[in-house]
Amino acid sequence: MKLFTWYVSVISVCLVVLTGMAQASELTLYSGRGEAFVKPIIEQFQRDTGIKVNVRYGDTAQLAVLIQEEGQRSPADLFWGQDAGAMGALANAGILATLPQDVYVGLPDIYTSATGQWVATSGRARVVAYSTTRVKQEELPQSVFDLTRPEYRGRVAIPPTNGSFQAFVTAMRVLHGDARTLEWLEGLKANQPKIFRNNTTSVAGIADGEADFALVNNYYLPRFTATDKDYPVAQTFFADGDVGNLVNVAGIAVLKTSKQQNAAVQLVRFLLSPAAQQYFTTVANEYAVTPNVISNPDLTDTKVVLQAAPKINLDQLADLEGTLNLLRRAGHL
Amino acid sequence: MKVQANENRAAERTEQIRVEGLSKSFGGGDRVVDDLSFTVLQGDILALLGPSGCGKTTTLRMIAGFETPDAGDIFLHGRKVTNLSPQKRNIGIVFQDYALFPHMRVDENIMFGMRLIPPAERAARIDKWLDLVALRGLEKRYPHQLSGGQQQRVALARTLAAEPDLLLLDEPFSNLDAALRNTTRNEMRQLIKETGVTVILVTHDQAEALTFADQVGMMSEGRLCQLGTPEQIYQQPQNALVAEFLGHTNLILAELDGKIAKTPLGTMTTTVQKHGTYWVSVRPEHLEVVSDPEGEGRIMTREFRGPDCYYEVEYRGQEYKVLSPFYCTLNMGEPVSLRIIHPGVVLKDDPDCPRCPVVSCVR
Amino acid sequence: MTGYNELMQYQIGLMRKWIFGAGRKAPPSLLVPALVVAAAMFVPLVYLVARAMQADRQQLVTLVFSSRNLELLINTLLLTGGVLAIGTFLSLPLAWLVTRTTLPWRRLVTVLAVVPLAIPGYVMAYALMGIGGRYGVAARLFDLQIPNIQGYWGAVIALALYTFPYLFLNLRAALLGLDSSLEESARSLGYSNMQIVRKVIFPHLLPGLLAGYLVVGLYVMGDFGAIALMRYEAFSFAIYNQYAGAFDRIYAAWLSIMLLALALSFVVMEIFVLRRRRLASVGSGSIRPAKPAVLKKLLPVAILYLIVVLGSSVLLPVLMLAYWLVLAPPDISIFLQVPWTFVSSASAALPAALLAVVLAFPLCYLAARYPSPLIIWMERSAYIGYALPPLTLALAMVFFALQTAFFLYQTIFLLIVAWTIATLVLAMGPIRSAILQARPNLEEASWSLGYGPIATFFYVLLPRLRRGIIAGIVLVFLFCMKELPITLLLSPTGFNTLAVSVFTRTVEGMMAEAAPFAAAIVLFSGISVGMILRREKAL
Repeated sequence: MKLFTWYVSVISVCLVVLTGMAQASELTLYSGRGEAFVKPIIEQFQRDTGIKVNVRYGDTAQLAVLIQEEGQRSPADLFWGQDAGAMGALANAGILATLPQDVYVGLPDIYTSATGQWVATSGRARVVAYSTTRVKQEELPQSVFDLTRPEYRGRVAIPPTNGSFQAFVTAMRVLHGDARTLEWLEGLKANQPKIFRNNTTSVAGIADGEADFALVNNYYLPRFTATDKDYPVAQTFFADGDVGNLVNVAGIAVLKTSKQQNAAVQLVRFLLSPAAQQYFTTVANEYAVTPNVISNPDLTDTKVVLQAAPKINLDQLADLEGTLNLLRRAGHL
Repeated sequence: MKVQANENRAAERTEQIRVEGLSKSFGGGDRVVDDLSFTVLQGDILALLGPSGCGKTTTLRMIAGFETPDAGDIFLHGRKVTNLSPQKRNIGIVFQDYALFPHMRVDENIMFGMRLIPPAERAARIDKWLDLVALRGLEKRYPHQLSGGQQQRVALARTLAAEPDLLLLDEPFSNLDAALRNTTRNEMRQLIKETGVTVILVTHDQAEALTFADQVGMMSEGRLCQLGTPEQIYQQPQNALVAEFLGHTNLILAELDGKIAKTPLGTMTTTVQKHGTYWVSVRPEHLEVVSDPEGEGRIMTREFRGPDCYYEVEYRGQEYKVLSPFYCTLNMGEPVSLRIIHPGVVLKDDPDCPRCPVVSCVR
Repeated sequence: MTGYNELMQYQIGLMRKWIFGAGRKAPPSLLVPALVVAAAMFVPLVYLVARAMQADRQQLVTLVFSSRNLELLINTLLLTGGVLAIGTFLSLPLAWLVTRTTLPWRRLVTVLAVVPLAIPGYVMAYALMGIGGRYGVAARLFDLQIPNIQGYWGAVIALALYTFPYLFLNLRAALLGLDSSLEESARSLGYSNMQIVRKVIFPHLLPGLLAGYLVVGLYVMGDFGAIALMRYEAFSFAIYNQYAGAFDRIYAAWLSIMLLALALSFVVMEIFVLRRRRLASVGSGSIRPAKPAVLKKLLPVAILYLIVVLGSSVLLPVLMLAYWLVLAPPDISIFLQVPWTFVSSASAALPAALLAVVLAFPLCYLAARYPSPLIIWMERSAYIGYALPPLTLALAMVFFALQTAFFLYQTIFLLIVAWTIATLVLAMGPIRSAILQARPNLEEASWSLGYGPIATFFYVLLPRLRRGIIAGIVLVFLFCMKELPITLLLSPTGFNTLAVSVFTRTVEGMMAEAAPFAAAIVLFSGISVGMILRREKAL
């Protein structure tokens, strides 16, 4: 029977290890924002409050659809998305809890949903990044629609799975209609774009010589130039009012199904606290949503940004599904 | 028809195992074992003898419980065990390759057989078995450190230590070299007789069957052709197959009238009275060959074998095998005459087809 | 009526033989678990198809017949073809050099040629990606900015460098098994050397080569890590993008089914080709190895070739790792994460390995001891998990958890179950051969001594199988430790493994931060390579 006891003990040790692994977590956050950006601020929250946060990283659209698919049974307490469209989609699906008014009261309209179901954590602008070594000044496109022209063939980097990129496509649909957008997407596809996973790698792709232009958010390039003064990439806006200059927000929301509403709201408040907001603008190079933050000298002034931005209501960006279908039809996904 | 040999002894001893109408086929093919029935009395050794593929090992495996019969039943002490799993039958088996557990020492192997004996008593019993199989001093060795004969004795001791109601031996001596085989056989028979266990042995070696067993069952194509004492099987074969498997024989077509038979070799006597055409078996040693310048026979083959001399003689277009005593004076091509010096055995075979086993074997 | 009854009896008899075989009846205590395991292998297939069938007809047409799919198909075929072509170039001359020539250091070269198996495709891709670009090793060390290695060629090279040892081992075995008397008799019949290569040697190498192509081809079609890092749009990358970026699961399911069909047609094609070329050595006698060719003028060429092959497959990744670890190391805190990540990986890999072995046993045992058509089919069903592209399997398990077993959803158990399904065949290999080596006599002897099946298992069978079981556990464990795609899709929130750490950091271009994890994987995979080398006893 010696052998038998041996086997029983091995199996029980495994079970103990397993149950140890499966211990209950405190808060579960689905984050469409990258780990490098999220991890430090979440660790700060854990240190401050003692509440443990498990973060599931993914792309914004993926997690937004996942939460809908999981429905009532979703293990997520909070969702932190990269764009207002995904937040709006979830709000429309009736999945999000209404936040206490004091969380968002006093913020500019652009930074909250009309029904108070999500709140912006930071603002950002779409830009075109380009290589300073391979792109002549006169080659810079005036409109995002120019990128389907032959001179940009094989030179443009896009991250089609990225939430910010998809929100920009949604904005194009709102402003120019589905037919025009599909035409542009197909033209872009035919122009052999370089496919990247996200904004960071798109910018790095320019420096590495894989692409000459990239459609990205404004805050990625400063991260590189901060440590590398000779970084061979610059960024600019298209002509004023072009949809390529969309101003968008990252937002956070608490799920209705969360069993820890208080702790979840505590995390929301923390992300809007001066300390977190300062982190977003100083370290992450985004635009703070609350006042009383020292502005980042590397960032273009908010006035200029709003001048360049197309006029659009962020609540209109909720049709994520329609955008995904269009991207699929054009062969980008 | 059930074969029951040695009726005179049956009254004294009880039946140990009875097999009735056992049949088995694999994968929808022909029956490997076909309607087999026999009985073994307590303390007897039965040898199932036959060429490879005759179904003897399958029979053994069905008795042990490793194969399920398609039909028929097995009774141990009159109790039906057909559907019992092997571990509940209390039937021991020694395999051809002994199946010693390679990860256990000699004593551990033997003690493994003492499942029902309290652990405290096992150590005392092991000595008895080691002595009995003459393995004292080797108990701490592993099987691979033993010779073939020693391994076999360990396997036997392991099986006997479980005190089985029946011991099955599957070609027990085939893995031993010829020199060792005779002595091992005698030792083992002695050991078995001392313990009084009932044995069924499977072999294709007729000498083994004749010397080892109390009863010999000759099998062919899944059927039992003849069951009897070794003497009966050898001296009174019931058909050509049995006669030929147990040594050489001459099959002669004879015209019988009572115990007198007319054959191409002249007139001879037979063991039983019959009328009509029959095959008769005449062993080579029951023929005499003498030099005869007038004789119609010719020596075709001549083998001097030491104790005796083996000839093949051509006589009127037929070949005859003759075994002469040690003087080996005849030469190749020499004219000889043949004489039958012992009564022939009348066979049950169809005179038109001497080797049709289906007809000739007992059903 | 009796005729009808007899027919029924006959039918029932046939059915019984189909289920239980002709011999003894398989014990239900094994048959039931084996049936459950075999059925479990079909779970991914069922859920995949069920999910795909949710598409309405309109949607179906646009999904299945889009030009995008054709593009993905062509890309996947190009990738597979490229890897096999480069793999052949890397392995065929190498196998010839170590078996048929007087090349010095042949044993060492043979061992080195197997070492790349320790460097998974995504680590190989990681090494290649660290060379070029603005922050690549070339730029840092030599101030030489070369473009990043990526796309088609990046994926082909990374996968070819990782997989060519499979081809090498097969070709080497085929060359060693080639009887020189065949060549000699062809020569004596007046054939030229080229004709002999074409008519004698090549046909003999073909089965081994094709078997290697099957393993490598299936792997390449299912690979995700290297393809995703190199951003090459093959099927698996598109499946992942559907899942990760757009989350259209119906389309992902259809893409998975298309990939599965591609893999299956590959298998069928191989079987068809191999069946027509069964080249068992006819005639008796042992194989006489050929006289090795003396490399004279060819020696410099051979050495140059060796430098290219071994330099790129072994030296390059090792140097790249060494650079990021020693010359440009990441923060010390990254190094400190490695042991914890290792424990985290192992905490799921070990249960998966034990589970795979426990589940493999009934299948192997029944197939060895009670073969019946049903049981043979059950045993074969285990190959489903192996042949399914890992992403497809993972996706199907997500469907399964969401629709049927939500209690498993986003738990480590789902990951363990998926790993087990994927690795059951790996566990079965050594266990099957151990059972086949343990003669059935031993078990029968134990039964006849009065021991039941359970006691017989523990006393008699298990000691004989111990090596096979340990080998099975180790194989599965090592596989899971470096497994990427299934882990990426199924790992619960907050759960991290070495492979996922390498991938997520490399994707972000954090080469230095990925290095300690990649090094841990390479060191650890070295153990499995050691096992392969030990199995190839001649080495």
